[in-house]
Amino acid sequence: MRVIEKHRNILDFTLSSLARRKGKNLSLVFVYTFVVFLIASVTFFTHSLKTEAEVILRDAPEMMVQRLVAGRHDLIPMSYMDTIRQIRGVQSVTSRLWGYYFDPTNGANYTLLVKPEEHSTSGTILVGRGVARSVRSKQTGTIPFKTYDGSYLFLRIKEVFTAESELANADLILISEADFKRLFAYPDGYATDLVLHVRNANELPTIATKITHLLPDTRPILREEIVRTYDAVFSWRGGLVIVVLLGVVLAFFILAWEKATGLSAEERREIGILKGLGWETTDVLFMKFWEGAVISLSAFFLGILCAYGHVFFTSSMLFEPALKGWSVIYPDFRLTPVISAYQISTLFFLTVLPYTVATIVPAWRAATVDPDTVMRA
Amino acid sequence: MIEIKDVRKVFNWGRPNEFVAIDGVNLCLHSQSVTVLKGPSGSGKTTLLTLIACMARPTSGRITLMDREITSLPERFLTEIRRRTFGFMFQQFNLIKGLTALENVMLPAYPAGEKHAVLEKRAGELLGLFNLSEKSRAKVEWLSGGEAQRVAIARALINNPSIIIADEPTAHLDTKLSREFMEILLSLARDGKTILIASHDPIVYESDMVERVVEMRDGKIVGE
Repeated sequence: MRVIEKHRNILDFTLSSLARRKGKNLSLVFVYTFVVFLIASVTFFTHSLKTEAEVILRDAPEMMVQRLVAGRHDLIPMSYMDTIRQIRGVQSVTSRLWGYYFDPTNGANYTLLVKPEEHSTSGTILVGRGVARSVRSKQTGTIPFKTYDGSYLFLRIKEVFTAESELANADLILISEADFKRLFAYPDGYATDLVLHVRNANELPTIATKITHLLPDTRPILREEIVRTYDAVFSWRGGLVIVVLLGVVLAFFILAWEKATGLSAEERREIGILKGLGWETTDVLFMKFWEGAVISLSAFFLGILCAYGHVFFTSSMLFEPALKGWSVIYPDFRLTPVISAYQISTLFFLTVLPYTVATIVPAWRAATVDPDTVMRA
Repeated sequence: MIEIKDVRKVFNWGRPNEFVAIDGVNLCLHSQSVTVLKGPSGSGKTTLLTLIACMARPTSGRITLMDREITSLPERFLTEIRRRTFGFMFQQFNLIKGLTALENVMLPAYPAGEKHAVLEKRAGELLGLFNLSEKSRAKVEWLSGGEAQRVAIARALINNPSIIIADEPTAHLDTKLSREFMEILLSLARDGKTILIASHDPIVYESDMVERVVEMRDGKIVGE
């Protein structure tokens, strides 16, 4: 009990001490909070995007097969489907038709996809919210598409996708097979790629090897590879932003180091008084520890809270362009809040610990002065 | 009882700027007595006070406090003795600016781990004793010289020490305040405190309450 009371008393004194240098300490907390906010925002954002991408890709086909010509993606003959179906373990093979369309009026790229099970009516399309925004259409409207021969194909918007699916569907247009082929003069008997479902996921690498053996001009792509790519891309972008922020972080640490290491003559005098009055070296160190802890923990929690609001309520408006990609159509959506204990502890060790240590070391040097210095002041 | 045997204190020992502050002092101070160390500036009064009050160690010699040899004790024990046994009044008052009078009085008791409310009550009572109840929540820099002096006295008494150490306590006080201060010391002496003062102020060493005046010069006792 005495130990708790002792720390309560020391903490009480620490808080009074901090309040005495309000301006100095508040400005430090402000800068500190800003640094935590920046780092936490990037961490939360990239982590949530990765989680979101993982969730979306969970329903993606386990394997895609593309044809390569001269190292470039080319149309794949539908006849390849029969060859693949013969491989043991393959449950189903379906063809996909998709492509990109550049809309010169809006300067935006759309992804066009044929999905007969969801949309097959010629003359109409289903669009993502990003597309609807770019053509300034809320629900209905017509988009003119310039076909391969320069003529125009007018397609009416039948429906706009819901916001929940925007990360994946912002620039997506679902189009009927007939319109798709008319737009691009797509040859019959060919698909953009093939998608596979297998009975046992463990057999995926074996099946992929068999496909490349039977159809040497193809390239099987596994879902895990896409997940890894997304992960690498988001981590890379997150890292990029952190590198840019490094200057700010360094500036903060220089400020904190100077503040922490440079005990003022007034502070040294006070430590001398406390020691003269019967405070032990450890008591002074505890006081300095609490001082550092109060500043760093306040800044840490404030920074985390601000970053949480910034990422999950304002969709990271500060970092959006750098982290989401380079595109005319940015997805407009709210990320599902995903925070792990690992993230929080990493942030804690990166921000709170260095500051607290930086405060303790000079305090220790000051605290070991002989108490009689107070008599000679 | 405090016994000082052949104590020397040398600063910067072995260096070109070596300085002998206390040179072979022998002294015996009885409990519940009022003693003044008198002498000019640089005579070693303050250094001797710091040695007696466990704030520094002598270079050689021994000091015993209530028959307990204290010169060889580790810092932790010296701090404990300092906190429990001694109450300090410094020349500059050494109050911590920005804190209230009440907080300043409570400071020496914080490390003891006493309940905050109990401590606050005792500090309030002490301030009341010196007619400072109304100023207890005032920041110390707003207090007059006399009020600050009384806060420093209250702070010295917070741990109920048996020995009061005062270093040039009237150096920054006018004659009236100096006499008031001596009145307070007198009441403390009546309460059974041992009082040890370093001063070259005649108001202090010529006071009726002072039982013994030890004269120092060049780190040595030159007369009583």
